Amino acid sequence: MNKEITKITILPGINKLGEKENFKKIDIKKGEVVAIVGHTGAGKSQLLYDIERLAQKDTKSKRKILVNDEIPDKELRFNPKRKLIASLAQSMNFFTDMAVGDFLKLHLESRGKKSKKGLIEEVIKEANKITGEAISSKMNLLNLSGGQSRALMVSDVANISVSPIVLIDEIENAGIKKEEAIKILVEEGKIILIVTHDPSLALNTDKRIIIKNGGIVDVLNTSLKEKGIAHYLNWIESFGLDIREKIRKGKKIENVEIYCEPIKSKK
Amino acid sequence: MKFIIFAGTPGSGKTSIIKSIIQELKNDFKLFFAKFDCLQTLDDEKIAKEYKIPAVKKLAGELCPDHYTALEIPKIIKENKDKDIIILETAGLCLRCSPYVEEGLGINVLDITSGDPSRYGPILTEADVVAISKGDLISQAEREIFRAKVLKVNPKAKITEVNGLTGEGAFDIAEFIKESLAVKSEKLTLKHSMPSAICGYCYGNRIIDETESRKRFLAGKELKSLVPNLNCGKCGYKSCNEFIRAVLDGKAQKEKCPFIKKEI
Ligand SMILES: Nc1nc2c(ncn2[C@@H]2O[C@H](COP(=O)(O)OP(=O)(O)OP(=O)(O)O)[C@@H](O)[C@H]2O)c(=O)[nH]1
Ligand code: SF4
Ligand SMILES: [Mg+2]
Repeated sequence: MNKEITKITILPGINKLGEKENFKKIDIKKGEVVAIVGHTGAGKSQLLYDIERLAQKDTKSKRKILVNDEIPDKELRFNPKRKLIASLAQSMNFFTDMAVGDFLKLHLESRGKKSKKGLIEEVIKEANKITGEAISSKMNLLNLSGGQSRALMVSDVANISVSPIVLIDEIENAGIKKEEAIKILVEEGKIILIVTHDPSLALNTDKRIIIKNGGIVDVLNTSLKEKGIAHYLNWIESFGLDIREKIRKGKKIENVEIYCEPIKSKK
Repeated sequence: MKFIIFAGTPGSGKTSIIKSIIQELKNDFKLFFAKFDCLQTLDDEKIAKEYKIPAVKKLAGELCPDHYTALEIPKIIKENKDKDIIILETAGLCLRCSPYVEEGLGINVLDITSGDPSRYGPILTEADVVAISKGDLISQAEREIFRAKVLKVNPKAKITEVNGLTGEGAFDIAEFIKESLAVKSEKLTLKHSMPSAICGYCYGNRIIDETESRKRFLAGKELKSLVPNLNCGKCGYKSCNEFIRAVLDGKAQKEKCPFIKKEI
């Protein structure tokens, strides 16, 4: 199957109590960003896992995932060389004792690609848009901070693990500019699913899937009003991040200017 | 009967993933679980209690746990002819031994944080299935690199990622087990020869010195030619080799083996 992926579909399975999920199907189209929300332990990561392995009633949830309205063939599901899906998991620890630049090259090679001139620099440059602490290609992976590791992986997913479907598990937990991160990831009309507890992220999507007791209980389309609220939330947060950076750089925070840019509402 | 061996370094996640696999299989198949280790293990008790299937522990003591496993396999098979699937977990201490058998399925549980896969011997290169564990601890990029490296050292293996904590991946392995062939005869063949036991240290020598080791080796060899290698246990040791070591250490009289006496 070398066709372009235009859509994935989630068909209902069961929740943790063994009850059938109450929906017919959920379509997610190319270009859409979908949040997965719910309490800790509700089963959000399970949904990501179902999609990652293109489940066919063979996971705990018994859900089925279709690609372009069809059951994906085994080749697509198990051959690691045919990477359909890139995922950013919660844990971002590195174990490899290696310089950032060399590591990115190695990752490219393991995907069967040759390093294009300037690509590695591009990956690092994009990563530096997301983190306040600049990364350089000579740095050792093991010395990166949590934020730097995450930023590097976000950029890796956008530039090296290029895949039509991207799964993100709680990107907000590492002090990175998450709005920038999402911008980099969303760019090329992919299908994006984000597990998140973060209100501004959850409201910055096209729809959100609500999970309770291991089952999908609702799907909400994000309203224009909600997007407006997300905008304000983002603004407040970036303000906080800015002060944080100033403090880190040893500056004094003497006066705080708060100005609020009104959201331009369409329609 | 299917014969499944799980090998992997200590703490790599063998028992954790075996549990989820047993959960997948236990309603449709009669299972038996055996855990090999050196001195102690609770894995068999945990599994017997949690899943209500018969389980044993086999402790190698003075012997190499993988050689001991090979010694014990025929007994396990003989005693469990009524079972559908035998699951054996090795001690996993030796990357070289790993007693996979031709007639069964060999599964290497490979901890992704344990370093470069190219340093592993037959435990990885001879495995039919490689179950990469603990991927939840590291970045996706490293997971992909690791997978590519595993594929390089064992291109014919089926590779899956498993998570011992959540049971992810257990379903795939259960499928591989179901697809695998049954053991036809009691005689099994090791996939590869184990390292030779040829020196005085194998017979318990502790003084690091070539002459001492040689002396011990010759004494051991002589005793070895006297015992019938039945591993019958009449001497109080569970194998002839352990008995020989005890004799050489002065802890046992060689007359304790009734067969030696007769021949003198
Ligand atoms: N993070 C993480 N931890 C795991 C995973 N699999 C197992 N563990 C943990 O690793 C530890 C060892 O797991 P076991 O299943 O006992 O390992 P084992 O290979 O059976 O160990 P031995 O029988 O002692 O050789 C336990 O604390 C598990 O909870 C995994 O996929 N991810
Ligand atoms: S009694 Fe003799 S034959 Fe039996 S285990 Fe001991 S040494 Fe071996
Ligand atoms: Mg164990």
